[in-house]
Amino acid sequence: MARKAAWLFIFLLMLSPILSGCWNRRELNDLAIVAAVGIDKAKDKYLVTVQVVDPGEVASRRGSAGQSPVSTYHAVGGTVFEAIRKMTTSTPRKLYFSHLRIFVIGEELARQGMGEVLDLLSRDQEGRTDFYITVAKDTTAQAVLNVLTPLEKIPASKLYASLEVSAKSWAPTVAVQLDELITNIVDPGIQATLTGVTIRGDLEAGNKKKNLESPDVPTRIQYKGIAIFRGDKLVGWMNEEESKGYSNITDQLHSTVVETACPNGGKMAVEVIRSKTSIKAKIRDGKPEAEVIMHTEANVADVECKIKLTKSSTLYELENAAGAAMQKHAEHAIVKAQRLKCDVFGFGDAIHRAAPGYWKHNKDNWDEQFAKMPIRFKVNVKIRRIGTIGESIMNDLKE
Amino acid sequence: MGTKEKISPRQFAILVILCAIGTPILIIPATLTSIAKQDGWIAACLGIAISLVLVRLYIAVGNLQSEKSLFAVIEHVLGSWLGKAVNLAIVFFCLVTASEVLYFIGNFMTTQIMQTTPMQAINILFAIVVMMGMRLGIESLARSAELLFPVFVLLILVLAVFTTPQIHLERLQPVMETNMKSMAWATMYFIGTFSLTSFLLLTVFPSDMDSPQAASKGFYRGMLIAGLVLVVIIVLSITVLGTDMTARQTYPSYALAKKINVGHFLQRIEIVMAIMWFITIFYRMAFYVYGALLGMKQLFHLKDYRPLVWPVGMLLVALSMLVHPNVMHSEEYNRSVWVPFVSTYGLYLPILLLIVHAIRRKK
Repeated sequence: MARKAAWLFIFLLMLSPILSGCWNRRELNDLAIVAAVGIDKAKDKYLVTVQVVDPGEVASRRGSAGQSPVSTYHAVGGTVFEAIRKMTTSTPRKLYFSHLRIFVIGEELARQGMGEVLDLLSRDQEGRTDFYITVAKDTTAQAVLNVLTPLEKIPASKLYASLEVSAKSWAPTVAVQLDELITNIVDPGIQATLTGVTIRGDLEAGNKKKNLESPDVPTRIQYKGIAIFRGDKLVGWMNEEESKGYSNITDQLHSTVVETACPNGGKMAVEVIRSKTSIKAKIRDGKPEAEVIMHTEANVADVECKIKLTKSSTLYELENAAGAAMQKHAEHAIVKAQRLKCDVFGFGDAIHRAAPGYWKHNKDNWDEQFAKMPIRFKVNVKIRRIGTIGESIMNDLKE
Repeated sequence: MGTKEKISPRQFAILVILCAIGTPILIIPATLTSIAKQDGWIAACLGIAISLVLVRLYIAVGNLQSEKSLFAVIEHVLGSWLGKAVNLAIVFFCLVTASEVLYFIGNFMTTQIMQTTPMQAINILFAIVVMMGMRLGIESLARSAELLFPVFVLLILVLAVFTTPQIHLERLQPVMETNMKSMAWATMYFIGTFSLTSFLLLTVFPSDMDSPQAASKGFYRGMLIAGLVLVVIIVLSITVLGTDMTARQTYPSYALAKKINVGHFLQRIEIVMAIMWFITIFYRMAFYVYGALLGMKQLFHLKDYRPLVWPVGMLLVALSMLVHPNVMHSEEYNRSVWVPFVSTYGLYLPILLLIVHAIRRKK
């Protein structure tokens, strides 16, 4: 019995070196949690900027010590990975990327092709695919990550949250994650898009904590426009209207505002509360064509003109007007994309699904085919409700 | 060992399920989609149909001498000398493949989770558990399978249910685009990793069954369920990750588990999901090791295989460090060597046994 116990003891002792835990374990206080990464082109090298969260500043209940809640570090390297490791010369802890929220690509790098930098993100085992990717518009990724933001202490969280919120309730932004981006870059039937992020206001003031001291902060980061890519290269930007049309066609529109003209002058707005778009593609006489079918439900949100709202015929007129406005946005987006010969809507994929035989022979020159492809719309808007009041006060205003 | 160990039909069906799901659950979506694109799941369905025919074949071989194990049957049918040679080859196959599974689990852990941990540490720990199972015997193994099976089912349900909101069914279209050649190759690959290895279950079937008739039914049923689970995993990978991303991943099921995100709250649970394949891989490896041990027992006319357990375990850990010098070697091995290697034992050997047996009986 004692013999057996002794053997067991020795056995357990031998196990202890293996069971002592992961070799590369790192405790929370050894980690620098990276919330945002920005990559710019620096001649033929990469300038990598990381935004690291200072947990003490973010979590403190007693008010912060007046330090910036985040610090940014940057380094230049021949490869992205080299630049990141090089940063350990300036960061006190090893960077930890699993909680990455936002990834900003500098416009210059995006124009030259961003394919190279995406590989590391999906290859590294710390990387996940649940962060959003954006392009710095008219500025560098480094500059974007250096701006401090009010309300959300960590600028990266601000960028993450406002992209998510605006994609849900405003529409001209798209929340793109890594796996979707990579799929769109390699799939011949669709081209990639990313939302642009830009700095409004004074660049210098934005880096200081002072930026947060006034209610109307002098420097803000905001999303603007959607970048169109051919392969991994940025080739153009869509403006706000086109972007709205784009997210509507690609069925990423959940809720937005559609502005329509009133019959007797003035404007009003309807709020889209639900929208479903499907693309039907087919081959007719050997040529591809597509139909975009939109089913939208909306409510009257804002009446700023004289209009007889309490008649159902008015609502039908409004439905037509709103539908026409939405179709106009979508047409603008298509015109832009066809001019750039970039099928960002995935009509190619729709053709692939509908006519695999045709696709097999034409996928190599799909860009050309797409540019002259006729696209029809079928827009069906239903206005269900008009809000909590009936007639607008506009009708009864004293002259 | 006075009393003979017995396995109930239910336990056997569970063993069939866990063994067949084994390692493929982690990698099969990537291999199938890289060959057959979005039609990978069709290849898997074809594979299941063929696997059921294979089960018929295995049951026929098992019934040649229903009270003896696979190795004794081989010696009986092929004669002492040839039988011994074939048994030696099977033992070799089992040892190499068991060490490969060990490499697989070590490689998965060091690639995805514990990057700088030496692979030895993981392999030793995993091997110890398998060896403990071997020492306790096949009946304990079967009972533990019965206990762990609900855990496995729960995890697979969690994975399936929580990834459904992200499904894009149109990613399966166009259906049947793949040409016949890639489809056939994908199907072959699927059978190779999924069901051809099940011939090792003949080491316990039907000799250790308490009711062989019901166990045969369990064999079919287990194979069918396991196949359907894999089809579900493949379809989920394609519809959630997309064909291209699935084919690009080393471990697509792990990537799939990473996608679980319920209201920004229930997320980052992929490591809990990993328990699922630890369970299945454990049973698959256990059967390779059991095959090796039982084969040795037969070769050397031992009364019991238990004295061999620890030496074989040490051998396996050492082999697992040698079997593949790097990941790509393992990938190439799986693509080119594995299918012919496993079909030698899983397909040609059973057919040979049946033919020889038939000829000898005529005489």
